[in-house]
Amino acid sequence: MYTPQKDDFNFIAERNLDVDENFASQGYWKGVAVHFLRNKFAVTGVILVSIIIFFALFAPVVSSYNYDEIVSVTNSSGKEFIAKSLGPQIGASESQDFFADRTFLFGTDDMGRDLWTRTWQGARVSLIIAFVAILIDMIVGTSYGLISGYFGGLVDNALQRFIEIAGSIPTLVIISILAIFMEKGIGLVIASLLLTEWIGMSKIARAECLKLKEREYVLASRTLGAGNFHIIFKQILPNAIGPIITQVMFSIPVAIFTEAFLSFVGVGIVLPQCSIGSLIEAGFNNITILPYQILPPISVLALLMLGFNLIGDGFREALAPKLEDM
Amino acid sequence: MKKIFTLLMICALLLVTGCGGDDNSSGDKKLSVMLSSNVVSLDTAQCTDSASFEVIGDCIDGLMQLDADGRAVPAIAESFDLSEDGKTYTFHLRDAKWANGDDVTADDFVFAWRRHCQKAGEYSYIMGNTVACVKNADAVIKGADPTTLGVSAPDAKTFVVELDAPVSFFPSLMAFPTFYPINEKFYGTLSENSYGTSPETFLSNGAFALSSYIPGAANIQLKKNDNYWNATKVALDGFQYQVVSSSDNALTSFKNGTLNVVGIGGNQVEHVQKDAELSKNLKTFLSGYLYYLSFNQDPKNHHAGALANVNLRLAISNAIDRESLVNNYVMNGAKATYTAVPIEFAPNAKTGKFFAEDQKQFADVINFDVSKAQEFLTAAKSELGKDEFELNLIFSNEGDSTSKIVQALKSQLESNLPGVKINLQPMPKAEYLSNVTSNNYDLALVDWTPDYNDPMTFLTLWTTSGCEIAEHWSNADYDKIIEDCTTGSLAEDYDARWEALYDAEKILLDNAVIAPLYTDANSVLISPNVKGIEFHSVGIDRVYKNAKLK
Amino acid sequence: MTKYITKRIFMSALTLFIIIFVLFVLIRIMPGDPFSVERMSAEMILQKREELGLNKPILVQFVDYLSLLASGSFGNGTSLYNGAPIKPILTTCLMNSFKIGVLSILFGTAVGLTIGIVAALNRGKFLDGLCTLVSILGVCIPSYVFMIFLQYTFAYKIPFFPYFFDPSKFLTSAVMPAMSLSLFAISTIARFTRNEMLEVLNSDYVKLAEAKGLYGFELIRKHVLRNALIPIVTVIAPLVVDLLTGAMVIEKIYGINGVGKLMVDAIAGQGVDYNYVLALGIVFSALYIGAMLVLDILYGIIDPRIRLTAKEGF
Repeated sequence: MYTPQKDDFNFIAERNLDVDENFASQGYWKGVAVHFLRNKFAVTGVILVSIIIFFALFAPVVSSYNYDEIVSVTNSSGKEFIAKSLGPQIGASESQDFFADRTFLFGTDDMGRDLWTRTWQGARVSLIIAFVAILIDMIVGTSYGLISGYFGGLVDNALQRFIEIAGSIPTLVIISILAIFMEKGIGLVIASLLLTEWIGMSKIARAECLKLKEREYVLASRTLGAGNFHIIFKQILPNAIGPIITQVMFSIPVAIFTEAFLSFVGVGIVLPQCSIGSLIEAGFNNITILPYQILPPISVLALLMLGFNLIGDGFREALAPKLEDM
Repeated sequence: MKKIFTLLMICALLLVTGCGGDDNSSGDKKLSVMLSSNVVSLDTAQCTDSASFEVIGDCIDGLMQLDADGRAVPAIAESFDLSEDGKTYTFHLRDAKWANGDDVTADDFVFAWRRHCQKAGEYSYIMGNTVACVKNADAVIKGADPTTLGVSAPDAKTFVVELDAPVSFFPSLMAFPTFYPINEKFYGTLSENSYGTSPETFLSNGAFALSSYIPGAANIQLKKNDNYWNATKVALDGFQYQVVSSSDNALTSFKNGTLNVVGIGGNQVEHVQKDAELSKNLKTFLSGYLYYLSFNQDPKNHHAGALANVNLRLAISNAIDRESLVNNYVMNGAKATYTAVPIEFAPNAKTGKFFAEDQKQFADVINFDVSKAQEFLTAAKSELGKDEFELNLIFSNEGDSTSKIVQALKSQLESNLPGVKINLQPMPKAEYLSNVTSNNYDLALVDWTPDYNDPMTFLTLWTTSGCEIAEHWSNADYDKIIEDCTTGSLAEDYDARWEALYDAEKILLDNAVIAPLYTDANSVLISPNVKGIEFHSVGIDRVYKNAKLK
Repeated sequence: MTKYITKRIFMSALTLFIIIFVLFVLIRIMPGDPFSVERMSAEMILQKREELGLNKPILVQFVDYLSLLASGSFGNGTSLYNGAPIKPILTTCLMNSFKIGVLSILFGTAVGLTIGIVAALNRGKFLDGLCTLVSILGVCIPSYVFMIFLQYTFAYKIPFFPYFFDPSKFLTSAVMPAMSLSLFAISTIARFTRNEMLEVLNSDYVKLAEAKGLYGFELIRKHVLRNALIPIVTVIAPLVVDLLTGAMVIEKIYGINGVGKLMVDAIAGQGVDYNYVLALGIVFSALYIGAMLVLDILYGIIDPRIRLTAKEGF
């Protein structure tokens, strides 16, 4: 009878212990991509978001006005005229008033600033918020959920009790408390997202982790001596990425909404900076007499939301093709 | 499962319809008036805002009231006598009744005044030695026995007030809500802190009584008080207030007839002025609110120590284009102001001329003159040895116009004064106030409401011991003048006091302690079928006793 | 079963207690002071602080507050409405919000379910696309924007509904806020219903039923809806609480005395009223926890599997 020696359990050769990701995932992701691209809604979403990102990046740079610049001229007798509350116009040379030769695609606001520039500047803020939401979801939410699900037992229990408590305080209350002692601005918006956004994601990540940690390949990897964190982030995470991305796509709109809401009630962005929410708020104050002021920010917000939601839906369907096959 | 769900649905439906069943829409026309902010409190010892004052004024009559022209005329007091030394007022009350049928007695006044001092609310200061000078008021506010307050009721219909010093405007002060009576017997039946929180816990002796109200109500209903002493003169059967915070909503609700009286802001005023039909209903008048920039001179203030330099302050004050501010951003008829006392406020009792009639009198230190401002700035730069000044401007983020003003200020100051940078810091009112009172700011946009019709309501702000909004500025000459004018040697000599107040104002503006910006205005749309609403710039803004709806 | 319910109730109570503690401590240690007002001197403020017991150690204050809660009161406000007792005001506001919330949930559930079912039954066809689009639009437009639009169109241009909330005409004035609030519920429920329905439609027992010859409405009602509806309840319960707290802007625009408006007033009104923020925070959290508790218990009754897995969870 052969008695196993210690040497038998050593690796024969030094080799990368990672699963062969290329082979394992290519087919899957290719399928996902095909499904996704076949979905007209999803593609529309991608196009919408890309257009908005494009304008947000370049429109304020190219524009001849600064977003906080009050456009004014002083006439010969020294009286100052401000281009305030002008409707959308394209510059034409011959006309009666001072600003006829200027182009204001979305008009100007009641401070005399170009709304075209301000709208895209505002869209920038919304997009920044979107990326912060992605980061928070990916880093905080995912790790929290995976760790909780993977270790189980006491750790899971403690982490879940914490979530239960944190999740039972409505977002509004948390924001209110923050708003009392934090300085207004994008920092407050990000802080409130930090405190509330990741909870949904961590639940999804935990559920995925509970499902995946019983799989054979995890067991195999553990027997081969992989550490806990290696298993969590190298073995489980890549396989749970589908539902996680879907969740991210849906939490972006929530984050953008939160910012718009906070700015609308006046604890968000600080003037003269602007965000979609603060522009909507400014437009709302003049909605019946200067309706063109509220239309651009609302449209951009709605299209951005639509885009991200369509992408999210597209991902979900592409990642769960069983629905497709019915 | 389905059963539970159906059951829940039925319960919910019952709940919703059951509560909505009380449809008693009277259908007939009712005067509906806009309030731009919530009523804070109906307790005269605690209210602080114009909305509360207005509703209290509808429901309770004080000793005196202001007539349409702002003169003090008798209300609950039929007449009063003044002692030789001007320090004792004896009011003779008429036969007035509370809404529950009780007589309004002098004891109700004694009770209310003592209670106000004892409660030490925000407005209790008005009883004290800077304003009304009621004997011992300051001591009682600080916790002394309330019975030592200088008020007494020799009989049910005689109310006597003793003062520490003669106060020329005392009768008109009596129209201010802090001096209103409270029915002691009724008050005694209420549980603690519940006075004035519902129609049941509030008793009126004035033209109207509450019929629907809760604290913070968006809609307040008033009905005529049949027990009012002058009830025959009151034409309205009742009216309602609606709290509307957006000026655009206000305009729309006026256009579609929901509200009869609304206040509107800048853009809406401009819109109405262009509309021939609507503009007939527009009424614009100065409100007596002074907007000014306060400079924090505390040398310890970490990056505004520079503001202790008078040239920097003068530079800022002279770099502001107040006319542009008013015409382009406030736009409601407000007037650019170059004095520390607002325009069309505090008329001289003898000449009738307003205190701040001459806006040019301090033109050498406060004006819009960019080159002069830059000279001041250069001087400041060399004195301080600094080229860059970064200043935080704090303001309370209520209302659309405030945010526009500060943005315009930032733009003007930064373009007219090279090297000056302004950071805007909006905050809720409470936080703003705590920063202002704890000297934690560089520049602050302040709006101050006059409490009584005398320049002193503004000038006492800047004394060393003055109000909590401290610029950290102290000037012995200034303090001396103010003290002489309130309780000192000049209190009895009207003309000398008036002149001395100009001297005080000059000291203030020469040192650029503040930069006055503008006197705010109210723009009000009134339906053509509404007549007889009286508007005041002090105390109670609007009075409906004589209003009629056709 | 009894053991499960007792355990859930105990856990909920414990969670609520911890939340009360956390909120209380957070609010008390925050910078700022309830008495930052214009016309008060430092001495007067000190005197007031003493009266309200704000100078005691924080744990003593907490015990005081708990005994206050136990006596069924939330105490008095500090700055808002000048120290009036909180409870009656809170109750009134809560009732207003609750009634509108219930209306919008009813409306949202009805419309959402219909859209979801129609979409699932017409999977892949034009109607499905239309329903999906409608349900997505619901999450694209903030409810207050929709409210502004409704108010402008149906109260100003076509004056059919009251321009401001009028408590004496509850039903007509509740329609617009309830509709705009239900927007989010509609799309959430519609999406969820569609997915659940598809899953059930694809399940073996429905296929078996079909094989037995059951079809059409009968099949949908008896087998599909019944099973698809259970998980939908999970979405509705938290939505109710969201609606209560999420109507802030709408209440402000339309002039409703609701908890949202109360919250705005408590933060940004005459000064931060710490006691109101605390009371509202506790009430909101309690509602949420309560909703979750009821949901779990109902679930436990309906579906024994959950009881079992829940046991493992603890």
